[in-house]
Amino acid sequence: MELRASRIPGVVSLAQGVPSFDTPDAIKNAAIEAIEKGKVAKYSLAPGTLEFRETIAQHLERENKFFDFETEIIATAGSIEAITATLLAILGPGDEVLIPDPTYTSYQAAIKVARGVPVFVPLSEEKHWALDIQEFEKLITPRTKAFLFCNPNNPTGTMFKRNQLHALAQLAIKHNLYILSDEVYKDFIFNGEGKLYSLAELRGIRDRLVYIFSFSKAYAMTGWRIAYLATHQDLAKKILAVHDALVTCAPVVSQFAAQAALEMADEDVETFKNYFQKRRDLTCKRLDKMNHVFEYQKPDSAYFVFPRIKREIIQKIAPGGGSWQFAIELLEKAKVATVPGSAFGPRGENHIRMCFGRSEKDINLAFDRLEKFFGKNFS
Amino acid sequence: MKSIFKKIVQFHLKLLTKITLWRHRPFIIAVAGSTNKTTTKDYILKFLREKYGEKEVRGNPKSYNTEIGLPLAILYLDSGESSALRWLKILVQAKMRALFGRKFPKKLVLELGVEEKGDMKPLLEMVRPNAVIVTNIEGSYTYANSSLDNVFGELKLLVQQLPKDGYLFLNCDDGRVKELKNFTKAKVTTFGFSEEAEARAENLRTDAQGQTFDFIFQEKQESVRIKKYGRTNIYAWMAAKVVKSFL
Repeated sequence: MELRASRIPGVVSLAQGVPSFDTPDAIKNAAIEAIEKGKVAKYSLAPGTLEFRETIAQHLERENKFFDFETEIIATAGSIEAITATLLAILGPGDEVLIPDPTYTSYQAAIKVARGVPVFVPLSEEKHWALDIQEFEKLITPRTKAFLFCNPNNPTGTMFKRNQLHALAQLAIKHNLYILSDEVYKDFIFNGEGKLYSLAELRGIRDRLVYIFSFSKAYAMTGWRIAYLATHQDLAKKILAVHDALVTCAPVVSQFAAQAALEMADEDVETFKNYFQKRRDLTCKRLDKMNHVFEYQKPDSAYFVFPRIKREIIQKIAPGGGSWQFAIELLEKAKVATVPGSAFGPRGENHIRMCFGRSEKDINLAFDRLEKFFGKNFS
Repeated sequence: MKSIFKKIVQFHLKLLTKITLWRHRPFIIAVAGSTNKTTTKDYILKFLREKYGEKEVRGNPKSYNTEIGLPLAILYLDSGESSALRWLKILVQAKMRALFGRKFPKKLVLELGVEEKGDMKPLLEMVRPNAVIVTNIEGSYTYANSSLDNVFGELKLLVQQLPKDGYLFLNCDDGRVKELKNFTKAKVTTFGFSEEAEARAENLRTDAQGQTFDFIFQEKQESVRIKKYGRTNIYAWMAAKVVKSFL
């Protein structure tokens, strides 16, 4: 959709999930210094520089997550490499991986690359997109190897709560499953919801949990392609072999930048979060005004909202074409790019994803256009 | 312009640090090595504070351990990062603390960050440690022997300056670190997993709650549990325990 949008002049994009900010100065300066000192031209050790991994471990400790930096942490080329390398390490052909429905669209592709089969676990929209644990267990078969999810969830902007996660952990132990917990949006939790509870804090499942964090969103570093995974050393060893074969090591300049991010950019993350909260509130306010078109669960994290399109609207705008056709109509006629909900799984149908990582100006412009478009079509 | 300003700040901070240390003459414990400095420092702080009280022992806040970071650690100030105004305020605060500050801890536990040839000299111009712990000499790159030799050379300078009544604590599982014992007048104590270590960890086990091991030192044995994972944490714990027993 983003590519299609780029071909149409004047489109306002709420499609791509990237923050509107530039990487903070302290991070850029650290990268420049590393370049000038000649530290980035060589391969690092496959799992990353010792200093970076040590900094990661110290940072994780502050979040009650304990990993050995020497053997249990691997710096990766973005979180998608961490996910793909893990899946390649643990899946055999035809093994099944459970993913929430709806969820981040690239998970399906990563599972297929690893010759696995994605199996959707429906989330319950009316329960704030909660995981139905009973439904989850029913979908487990002898071929099920893992559950892969992001928390907070993309595209819904909602969080899986502690009790759901604990139930999930029990099922993982009972059925011998791995859990891949992608927590890329963990720093953007709004309205005093506190910090995100992570399964990485639960020591009893550390032998089957892969914790994944990317610097892309929290530190506005999408282009740097840097993330890490943390898991038990036995599994880390297997993943490292795949990671080494895929990329040798994560970009070294990005490792230095990301280390600086952990050491110096806490204030920037807080600033970004405050902006996103304001933009979330603005987006919800604008959506409320369009309650004849959309209904939605208010996101409490990340920077996405996933409104459901009312039946009569979608039938009029995109008869028979679903959310895909609806998004194309918005793009071509209202010049607003969004992502069709069907891209995130069957339960995403009749929804669109809007990203409020963009500037307030863009958000307002997009909604002005949407209001005009729906006003014209429904007056 | 930026680098001139940086040099001016560095010069003044260094001078004020020297004045502070001259006035208060604390016992300085330096932690050096490629990695594991912060964890080792934190364990030393914990153990020494148990022994001497919270206010009598201070360490680097964050990991301020370079030519510009170390003075901040000693003067107990925050970094100005990229703000010139903040640095100017820091210089004023530093001057007040160096010239008029009355309270100062009796023991300082300081990380010394050394990566390249020439890094140690400016640090030693500011501080003269009474005790040194060397954690390891390891590289982050696939082929990096020459840079490890450079780090070894820098750490050699550090152990050479230790006084005769000083202390040197070495991780004897690291071949390069072990060699440092040949370059000091100070009393040397080794720690590690190997048989030759004077303070030794044995029977390491890992479970969901962390790690357990037996710690053997001065003909005593104790069972230890720590909640963190990885051998580096055990090295750090042992180093701190040995430091506590001597100081």
